[in-house]
Amino acid sequence: MRRSGRPSLRRRQDMDTPDSGGMTPLGRKTAETGINFTSTTRFSRGLTFIRTHTLFGQSPTRRIIPQTSLLQENADPQKIAFLLRKQWTLYSVTPMYKFSYGNLKEYSRLLSAFVAAEKQKGLAVEVGNDLGIKVTLSTLLGLKGTDQDQVAILVQIASRSQLPFENAEDKVVWSGWFCCICGDDLLESVPEDFTCLSLFLANGAESYTAIVGSWFQKTFDCYFSRLTISPLNLAWMAAMWTGCKVDSHMAATELVFSVPCIPQSLDISYAIHPEDAKALWDTVQKTPGEVTQEEVNLFMDCLYSHFHRHFKIHLSATRLVKVSTSIASAHCDGNIKFLHSKHLIGVLTLLTELAISQIQ
Amino acid sequence: MSASGRRRRGALDSGFTMDETVAEYIRRTVLKIPRHEIMEMLRMWDFLSKTQLQTINVHQIKERISQEVVELCEENSASIKQAAILDMIYNHTYRNKKVWTVYQMTKVAGEETDSFNLADFKYKFKRSLRSALKNVTINFREYEDNAIWIRIAWGTQYTKPNQYKATYVVYHSQTPYVFISSLRSSIPLLCQALVHASNYHDIHEMELRSRCIDSLKDIVFKRYSQTFQTYHPRPLQERNVAPEKVDPRIIQENKREKERIQSVTQEVFGEGLQPKIEFAQYKLETMFKGEPEMDILTEKEPFRCVVKFSSPHLLEALKSLAPAGMSDAPLSPLLTCIPQKARNYFKIKERKGILSASCLGH
Repeated sequence: MRRSGRPSLRRRQDMDTPDSGGMTPLGRKTAETGINFTSTTRFSRGLTFIRTHTLFGQSPTRRIIPQTSLLQENADPQKIAFLLRKQWTLYSVTPMYKFSYGNLKEYSRLLSAFVAAEKQKGLAVEVGNDLGIKVTLSTLLGLKGTDQDQVAILVQIASRSQLPFENAEDKVVWSGWFCCICGDDLLESVPEDFTCLSLFLANGAESYTAIVGSWFQKTFDCYFSRLTISPLNLAWMAAMWTGCKVDSHMAATELVFSVPCIPQSLDISYAIHPEDAKALWDTVQKTPGEVTQEEVNLFMDCLYSHFHRHFKIHLSATRLVKVSTSIASAHCDGNIKFLHSKHLIGVLTLLTELAISQIQ
Repeated sequence: MSASGRRRRGALDSGFTMDETVAEYIRRTVLKIPRHEIMEMLRMWDFLSKTQLQTINVHQIKERISQEVVELCEENSASIKQAAILDMIYNHTYRNKKVWTVYQMTKVAGEETDSFNLADFKYKFKRSLRSALKNVTINFREYEDNAIWIRIAWGTQYTKPNQYKATYVVYHSQTPYVFISSLRSSIPLLCQALVHASNYHDIHEMELRSRCIDSLKDIVFKRYSQTFQTYHPRPLQERNVAPEKVDPRIIQENKREKERIQSVTQEVFGEGLQPKIEFAQYKLETMFKGEPEMDILTEKEPFRCVVKFSSPHLLEALKSLAPAGMSDAPLSPLLTCIPQKARNYFKIKERKGILSASCLGH
């Protein structure tokens, strides 16, 4: 009965070639999502000094459990709360050339004008109308894994309130933020003119993402590409996040699988009670301070074999497309939702690593 | 035609008016209907005269069509009763837009079956609901397959019935089965009225849900094709062609195994098209048995999880799993029992003996 779990194991590992590997400039992934960033350069500068920390862009076989997963003291709780419980689309960004933290005001002004101009291009009818759009760049303090990390940047597009009141608030219609958490482990010393903010997260209309992205690409000679998450990395997330301690609002560890190659599509959601999932992970996880690929594999295989025992279906032959836990939820398309501020840094550390390995 | 503005004012002035809410409800119902079906549904409705129908111009935007229909309805001073019938025609045609839950009614053992009297049923049903709730809209409509469609819009003691959140009930008078859409808090009242009106003793939910009410009927009336087909090797071979090309793992040497999988699958599912359901859910509270050589989770506590399967055509998808190499053949009885057990919501607990057997014994 149990035998049958075995042969498919091999298959799974074959399927798990990470999709974070080779990225071409103006990569295919961007085109697929329908966003076309216009870039003036064929090859971005600054790619050369990124350390190829793993062979052929493969995922590491072990990852450290972050010890300092708390936000730094100067974090603005309101801004951090704003990042939680929203769906963010992930991008990786090559290092930015001549980006200066002192110029955020100037960038805000330029980007406002750029967004307004781009918007008007598409709306011939509304030419002359004040589009009432305001772009603001600001720092996201406290969002650092190490002191060497660059300060994270928040970009927001707000449409000006039509109300006549002085203090009527602008409505945020789009947000995006750059960060690079514990990136110094992965990046060689970066030349002075470059700023590494390798992970970009966007929430709002894709058309705005495209406009903002192309402005950054033009202005700082960098390159954006969609960051998708491989089934292997999703399994890492399932295991690592299940293992995190959460004091309240424990949510099930839910794995969503999609069955390929059959005439009718089939999705399987496998939600494990948080206490039971944690108990399983705790018996699997033995290496102190770090998580190994073997442990992640064993965790998933245990879940697969329990499932097989009931349904006779080999989950290992299907595709893991989504993981959600109390900490965060992640979709293979490259969408993420942060659910817990305490573990925000930990999740961002892993995402930064994936972003950097994509731009190698 | 400056109709819309004038209409509104005219209606308000004339004193002999149609309720604004009725007009709005008819307008929105017409808007839901695909343009090419509007005339057909209005004809089925049989509320507007032939001459009135001829004045409707269907070659314009739907907003205009619905406005014209409302104007004609105003001429006939339609009430919510008639508006509800139009909604029933729409929902009968588009019955797969709702999620239906199956209920089964039971009699006390030995109790004899009375012959069914429709008028009596309607009267008792209405009286039962109205005695508990004054503000309800109740409509009946019979269909040729012995199905009685009932539409109920619920209000409260102080508020008018909400026509936009009506519950639909489909009852087959020759059977103990009832199909109910849009579950809400009034379900106990509804069940009480059904049991009372149809002379049954009790009613219970069957844990069987789907969008496709016809498939639910196939399942509970045991109309779906099962294992009685004779073996037809030819069409089977033809169907095998496609997967053979896509799946390189299946090679010549595996042909015998492949044939076994095919025949086992056919034995379990039958050859005909499966009834259409979109989901199945299992709450598992069973012991965890991981890798046998590993010492994992040895406690005697059950491992709690919820497994949900979803597909536009779940049983067909499950049927294709073993041939595609995604599952063992045969597939688990937990999955293959769905049509026979007539349920797709399960709670599985460990019992002595073999797991699957215990699960299937409820």
